[in-house]
Amino acid sequence: MSEFVTYLVTGIALGSSFALIGSGFVVVHRVTCVVNFAQGSLAVLGAMLSASLLAGRLPHVVGEAVTVVVCGVVGVLVGVIAIGRRGTPPLISLIVTLGVSMVFSAAIIWLWGQDPVSPPGLDGFATILGAEVERQRLLVLVVTLVAFAALSLFFSRTYVGKALTASASNPFAARLVGIDVRRMGLVAFGLSGILGGMAGVLIAPSNALSFYSDLPMALGGFAAAVFGGLVSPLRTLVGGLGLGVAGQLTAGYLNGSYQTEVALLLMIVIMIARSRSFAHEEAK
Amino acid sequence: MAPVMSRVMSRPQPRTALVVLACVAACVAPLVLPDLTFFMRMVMAAIVVTGLSMLMGYSGQASLGQGAFVAAGALTVAVGTTRFELPPLVALLAAPLVAAGFAALVGVPLLRLHGHYLAFGTLALLLMVQAAMSTFDVLGGALGVSGIPPLGVGDRVVVGQLPYVYLALGCLGLVLLLSHRTVHSRFGRGIQALAGSQTAAESAGVPVNRSKVTIFALSAGYAGLAGGLSAFFTPYVSPDSFPALESFTYVIMAVVGGLGTIWGGVVGAVIVSVLLQVLNTVSSQPGLPPTAAPIMQYATYGALLVLALLFMPRGVVPSVDAGVGRLLERARVEAPG
Repeated sequence: MSEFVTYLVTGIALGSSFALIGSGFVVVHRVTCVVNFAQGSLAVLGAMLSASLLAGRLPHVVGEAVTVVVCGVVGVLVGVIAIGRRGTPPLISLIVTLGVSMVFSAAIIWLWGQDPVSPPGLDGFATILGAEVERQRLLVLVVTLVAFAALSLFFSRTYVGKALTASASNPFAARLVGIDVRRMGLVAFGLSGILGGMAGVLIAPSNALSFYSDLPMALGGFAAAVFGGLVSPLRTLVGGLGLGVAGQLTAGYLNGSYQTEVALLLMIVIMIARSRSFAHEEAK
Repeated sequence: MAPVMSRVMSRPQPRTALVVLACVAACVAPLVLPDLTFFMRMVMAAIVVTGLSMLMGYSGQASLGQGAFVAAGALTVAVGTTRFELPPLVALLAAPLVAAGFAALVGVPLLRLHGHYLAFGTLALLLMVQAAMSTFDVLGGALGVSGIPPLGVGDRVVVGQLPYVYLALGCLGLVLLLSHRTVHSRFGRGIQALAGSQTAAESAGVPVNRSKVTIFALSAGYAGLAGGLSAFFTPYVSPDSFPALESFTYVIMAVVGGLGTIWGGVVGAVIVSVLLQVLNTVSSQPGLPPTAAPIMQYATYGALLVLALLFMPRGVVPSVDAGVGRLLERARVEAPG
């Protein structure tokens, strides 16, 4: 039983990073119907940048904050490329962002090399319900929860948030009432950059990232976002945590090397099971 | 695209001339090129991309994991010849069939997905195929399968690279012909209707699910054929032989060449392969850091994809085709008769 609790706790801590990346997918897809393949690359960029900034140049918190802001700006640039041209269909935008993520890989190898990088974070372990968890992982969980709470408040309470939702649900009507749908799309991309940067900054201290990590991160995040139908932040959070727990349970009871495959299989099963409701969303 | 073959008889077409020129160039190139491995890889990519271009262009579905079916074909040859001691020729013929069968099997549930979901679903499939290859010893395990015999019938075996190159070219020709026939058949018209609107196609009597699975399986069959050839050409198959980046490359080639055109796959494969080869040569010059090669590769892939999609969204073949058509039209107007 205590074993089970250990897996549960570590799984939730691990899953929060899936959820954080997934939230970036959700924010962009909700507003623009585009899936931003570069979401994983934004996280890698955040990890690399924070490692460089924190290496004696800036103190903690300031270094991380600068990184997240820079990632937000980069996110807007990704948006300009992906949706800047009018009439680009979402599937083509997906492939454009795939191209952008490759440019990111080139830039990251050029600036930081090919080796994995791990910026400093919180050290040591904390004991929860008898399970030892890295304190950095707990920090990820806490930040994720705060980020999701802020996100849902932003979407439901603020003017910009409501405009974002309006652009998503009916672009034509939103334009009629004076919302610049394209600018809202760029805001969403900027927000996804911020979320991606946060994910990178937080994950990298306990899990070194290299240019090669963008694909697994993007897949994990997308898998979490699929639980929320790519639109619901709350269900993405649940999905991410669920994926983390499922991965830990497989690692604990079956075999550690199947973790990713279980996540992928779950993602496919969920997608197929929900394919009917997805089709409805697309038809709208 | 109008049926080319019927018009060939009446008067010479610039397009026909181009096709003949391409065939001649393809047959002569292996005799003069110093690096046959590069040429072979390009031809195999062209086979895969022809199928992918058909899938993406005519049925409007994207596959980011076409490498999964290349792997299926390569594994058929590798495991078939080494473990089950199939005759090499039988294994090669089985490769596209196994890949297509595999695609039909996974396609039934997977093709209920559309757009983004299918793109990620196929990518996930590729990663799971890789995982299965490194996990199960039957499929080679982490070490991969080596000791694949050369292609041949009985005691007569193929020696050297040149016969494989011509075999691959022959396969490419077959694949192009098959694609042409498919696209201009009743089934092909149904598929194109499906890309426009699934509901409309369904109400017009197109068997939607069956058509989608068939075209998916056909494009997978092409990929499997290329995989089978590659297993003979480079007699070693491991999970690392089919990286995700390679599958993305196929998408880039398809997009650059022009989706939904018969020749787009070939043109895209040639342009991207040659460009990469040139960059490879440049980046391996002395004095450049070892990271120059991956930087250039990724930057080229990314830039090509973004620029091609934003500024030539229909791809090289349709754009050039339209341009030449306009020129000819103008020439005919200015000089009647």
